[in-house]
Amino acid sequence: MHLNSVHETLFRGEGGDARQLAMQILAKVGDAVGAESLVPIKSAHVQADYSGLHDSGIALFERFAASDGKFGVPTTVNPASIDLDGWESFGVPAEFARKQIRLCQAYYRLGGIRCWTCVPYQVCNFPKADETVAWAESSSVVFANSVIGCRTNKAMAGLDVASAILGLTPKFGMLLDEERVAGVAFVAPPGRFSDLDYSSLGYLIGKSAGSRVPALDRTPKGVTSDDLKHLGAAAASAGPIAMIHYVGVTTGSSSLEKAAGGEEIETVDVSRSDLETVEGELNQTEETPDLVALGAPHLSVSELGSLARLLEGRKVKRGIKLYAYTSHQAYEMAARAGIQADIEAAGGTLSQGTDADVCPLKAMGFHVVLTNSALLAETLAAGGTVKVRYSSLRDIIGEVSA
Amino acid sequence: MSTKTFRCQVLVGGNASGEALFCRQAFAFDRAVDPGTGVVADSRSGMAGANVRGKVLFYLRGKGSTAGSSWLVEAIRLGNGPGAIVTEHVDLAAVVGSSLAGILYGKAIPVLSGIDVRVFGKAKAKARSVASVDGDAARVVLTG
Repeated sequence: MHLNSVHETLFRGEGGDARQLAMQILAKVGDAVGAESLVPIKSAHVQADYSGLHDSGIALFERFAASDGKFGVPTTVNPASIDLDGWESFGVPAEFARKQIRLCQAYYRLGGIRCWTCVPYQVCNFPKADETVAWAESSSVVFANSVIGCRTNKAMAGLDVASAILGLTPKFGMLLDEERVAGVAFVAPPGRFSDLDYSSLGYLIGKSAGSRVPALDRTPKGVTSDDLKHLGAAAASAGPIAMIHYVGVTTGSSSLEKAAGGEEIETVDVSRSDLETVEGELNQTEETPDLVALGAPHLSVSELGSLARLLEGRKVKRGIKLYAYTSHQAYEMAARAGIQADIEAAGGTLSQGTDADVCPLKAMGFHVVLTNSALLAETLAAGGTVKVRYSSLRDIIGEVSA
Repeated sequence: MSTKTFRCQVLVGGNASGEALFCRQAFAFDRAVDPGTGVVADSRSGMAGANVRGKVLFYLRGKGSTAGSSWLVEAIRLGNGPGAIVTEHVDLAAVVGSSLAGILYGKAIPVLSGIDVRVFGKAKAKARSVASVDGDAARVVLTG
């Protein structure tokens, strides 16, 4: 990868230790993937959750912070592994919480924005179309490329923070026009789509597209940005997906032909029974859940409002916790609008700035998790420490409350 | 005993050899491998219970969370990472994980891609194959 004279001085350490380390990371990764050069980014979104980063992640963050590193562009952060405003009440082991707090402190010293969310694009980081950014969080990456129309690779942990420090990232993959062309098309089945259908369709796309960029044709009418958030998250959990051309939604993809760059591509008709197969795959047990986990990725304030309406006049059954994971901002708005009070009156709990896929659920005492998120079901299945059930929000509320 | 040579693209250089471990699907280290032991937890991977430590790990492609790289770094740091990774398609998590392990701990592992997918078809029959990864020659030799 070509480094210009300014990059070279940073590589040699003339810009300080933090920028030298960041440049070493970008140069090494850029060389590996065959990037031609480094390009400027407008923002970064990084991971600083202890469950994902482990002790080596703390070491990296603290090394950057100790050498007076500062983020060179506005930088937001994915959910922490604990509810920072009340981890004690969620039963998180203190030793684990202390590790997360060290990561938080290093992140703050680097100048990061205190916005612990997997949906930065809904609350705190607003790129415009055609901007280049370096974002971690696979679901955000899909949303950024597919809905917003900006350009980002999946900024893997380590690459994310190095890009944030320098305000630069290697130019390859999704940053190149030719790599963004759809190589396979999926055709959505007709009819109404539930929350679960969007999640299952995303999972199927992620699993079936291989390493091709997928397109989705006949995206259901009335699809919301929240639906696309969950669809993209599910796709990214099941494959290396960084972008989906939603025909009629994605900039430049008003037709399938345009999404595919005028080429003839394989087309896969998705049936309702295909979606049921995904449901069967993600459903591991029939056991009664001890945790209902909603909001992977984080719920928006409008989704929290829908949840409150579904719970109206009902009460979550004894022995079951219902956690709705959200951002600090949506939490605040839900509190102001009385939505939080409604959910809590029904026995649910809002948890902010963290999420079920990065929490130590087993250590918090949970064994069977019920969710409508394919991303969460996939993530928990990989670890195998808790069992997962996968069901629509309507069915979940019907089952766990009365 | 048969020997087969596959040409690959070298992403992170180096040489390694060890028992081959095959996953015929997309794979991510995130939660699927315990960094403290190297044992594969993911029951759907076809490798559950196996230990990746020192093995040459083959899988089709990456998937999932951007934390995949940091799970790999942690496993390598603790001495429980694979000896090399070989995939069909470039897995950015493996590239970043190995690069970081090299920069932070002097422990980069070879990462190659572009392996002939037929190797995965033979995975079952040759479960005890030994793989030699030669980053300089951009090839992987499977014996067994």
